[in-house]
Amino acid sequence: MEAPKDPDSNPSGIDDSELELYTIPSHSRWFVWDEIHETEKTALKEFFDGSSFSRTPKVYKEYRDFIINKYREEPSKRLTFTEVRKSLVGDVSLLHKVFIFLENWGLINYGAPSTHTGDNLAAKDEERCKVRIEGAPNGVRVVSTPNSLKPISVPRNPRSTGDAVSSSTAYKLPPLASFSDVYGDFMRQKELTCGVCSDICDSGHYKSIQDDFVICVKCFKNGLYGEKRSMDDFKLLESNENSGKHGAVWTEGEILLLLESVLKHGDDWELVAQSVQTKNKLDCISKLIELPFGELMLGSAHRIGNNNSANGVVNGAKQVQSSSSDQQETSKTEDHICEHTNENAQNGDVKQSPSKRQRIDSLSDSSCSLMKQVGLISTVVDPHITAAAADAAVMALCEENLCPREIFDAEEDNYSNDSFFSNLNGYSARALESEGSEVERSSQSEMRDRSPKKDDIPSTLRIRAAIATALGAAAARAKLLADQEDREIEHQVAIIIEAQNKKLQHKIKHFEDLELLMEKEYAEMEELKHSILTERIDVLQKTFSAGISRWKDYPPMKS
Amino acid sequence: MKTPASAFYRNPVKFRIPTADNLVPIRLDIEIDGQRYKDAFTWNPSDPDSEVVVFAKRTVKDLKLPPAFVTQIAQSIQSQLSEFRSYEGQDMYAGEKIVPIKLDLRVNHTLIKDQFLWDLNNFESDPEEFARSFCKDMGIKDPEVGPAIAFAIREQLYEIAIQSVVSAREIRMSKKGRRGSDNFSVSKGGAVAVDLVKLFGPKSSVIRKRKEWDVYEPIVDLLSNDEVDALEAKEERAFRLWLRLTSPSPSSLKDIPLIFIEKKK
Repeated sequence: MEAPKDPDSNPSGIDDSELELYTIPSHSRWFVWDEIHETEKTALKEFFDGSSFSRTPKVYKEYRDFIINKYREEPSKRLTFTEVRKSLVGDVSLLHKVFIFLENWGLINYGAPSTHTGDNLAAKDEERCKVRIEGAPNGVRVVSTPNSLKPISVPRNPRSTGDAVSSSTAYKLPPLASFSDVYGDFMRQKELTCGVCSDICDSGHYKSIQDDFVICVKCFKNGLYGEKRSMDDFKLLESNENSGKHGAVWTEGEILLLLESVLKHGDDWELVAQSVQTKNKLDCISKLIELPFGELMLGSAHRIGNNNSANGVVNGAKQVQSSSSDQQETSKTEDHICEHTNENAQNGDVKQSPSKRQRIDSLSDSSCSLMKQVGLISTVVDPHITAAAADAAVMALCEENLCPREIFDAEEDNYSNDSFFSNLNGYSARALESEGSEVERSSQSEMRDRSPKKDDIPSTLRIRAAIATALGAAAARAKLLADQEDREIEHQVAIIIEAQNKKLQHKIKHFEDLELLMEKEYAEMEELKHSILTERIDVLQKTFSAGISRWKDYPPMKS
Repeated sequence: MKTPASAFYRNPVKFRIPTADNLVPIRLDIEIDGQRYKDAFTWNPSDPDSEVVVFAKRTVKDLKLPPAFVTQIAQSIQSQLSEFRSYEGQDMYAGEKIVPIKLDLRVNHTLIKDQFLWDLNNFESDPEEFARSFCKDMGIKDPEVGPAIAFAIREQLYEIAIQSVVSAREIRMSKKGRRGSDNFSVSKGGAVAVDLVKLFGPKSSVIRKRKEWDVYEPIVDLLSNDEVDALEAKEERAFRLWLRLTSPSPSSLKDIPLIFIEKKK
């Protein structure tokens, strides 16, 4: 052990060189030298149920402290159970249990070269927090870095020399923050903290060449290099470089890929990370958490949708003006996209996935042209409803923009055309499977019909009208569905009530039958009783007439 | 497995192997026509006895032994099992009991000497697990060592359990016989349990004194081929001698399988 064993031999002035830095996993931050934590009590309850003389809390604490100290004499070496047990008195099975417990929690052999659990430990390495130990076992204090946030152990009793007191003032524990508490591990990657003053290095930092020890610029300038390090060991790293290195920048495509794979694989982050490819697991998780949902999400989806569809319209217009082969090509791609949309919609119907996923769904659709979506939605409901919705939307827009309704008139024709068209289609093949093709046809026709004529109407206005139409149509559809559902429920309830009624009636009938039976039985019983009585009287009379005394009858009966 | 507190003080434990699995250590040492078969394994006493013959047949087939071995093996196992069962249901001991276990065994090229304490009331103990971590910690590669250690522990625990039953019976008898005389010396032959008050009392520490560490430290030696040969020859000689000495005399509990052999001869 590098630090002196006896706390008294350690003078109260502490420099970093006299502090030992140990690493324990952050999930073991409950550990305190002076106390026995609940975790320990539940895991090793035989020590605490008072069942045995040889298993007491005191014995446990001695075991624990000894094993941990033994390990810390040489943290780089893996401590084995066989090494420990020779020094401890007690049942080896029990000692083994304690040893395994400590090892599992990382209080010993954490980060030591392992023989069997190498992969595990390497994975856990990222969620480390630091433990400071000063010299003696009892003086050990556990101090968290800003990222672990909770103090692992605030020195409770300053009895162990002056060290604890002076050092506790020397290191300030950062305030709690709930977000980073929960996502501290992800934060870590982006925010580096100074190893000396524990501040966040936002501007840039110096990194030790030998290991990952990091200090901030301020500390570097002040000459605080941390224990056993000199100025030459450090290399300046700019924060930009750092953020770039961690791949915090996500392209739209990557986000899309992420969302799609989350939809596909759910919580299985390994698979998600695999399909995203360019990002690792942690990145994926943190990105998904960062992504806004709810209102924000919808808003962004709209924005993206707007942009996309505006482009699409422009493109469409161009292509219509250009050769027809181009047109064919676009319609082909459109087909593809629409099929995709339809598929998604069907999935949504079948799975009834939670709101989060559905939102992702809608976002991932945003790559598809908005017009196609509108087309899809409006064919889901009856054409006249679509027409009404479109009408209402146009009205509202006209009022809002103070523009004459006439500019939409041409469009109106189109809408009626459309609705007629889809009317025909809709009634001929209403089945869900064929809907995709139907949509695609109707939307194609929409495009073809409209694009050449309506260059005079501002495209944004048209898009807004289309969106409003779609929303209206969707709402109508929803209303229809809800109504149908309502009727269904009513019907079911009626059936249930009827069934219950029938059941009750059957029961009543059954009871009536029973009653009849009982009455019959009762009558029979009465009759029987009567006959027995008469018989008895008859017998008695006979005996009397025969002149036999009744007292003589009884003795033989008794014996 | 949670046992209510202080249950051990009042209720005597019924006979069983004081480990998590109640497995009987079975040792076979059979010689027919100059061919010797030695083996050691554990047997679950709650298995149906029909398994014994199946096992014997299988073993003979796997090891390509002469068929005469089948009955020998089956009989040997059966008799050891019935001996175990004869103790079942009897009171073993009451109260706490921690005993020292001493290992001194040779498996192929590995020589192991060790000693440690074993709590007879810890019914979660697992000799196999202990042996596994022992081999891992000591870097023992030979796969036969672990089972041998576990078996040695089980054998000793079994021995202690039998002694405990006998001594528990003695105590009952003596209490019936001469009431009032409390100063009866208990279990001369029984395993000497450690003094719990001395070891776990409020004054003592469970951490051993440094000079005692060596005593409780396991010693593992790897022998050379010559040493192994020499040792084996010695053991063989001792075995022959012992065979000659013991064969005419009737049973001693331990050596039932050998006696069967003698009868057949």
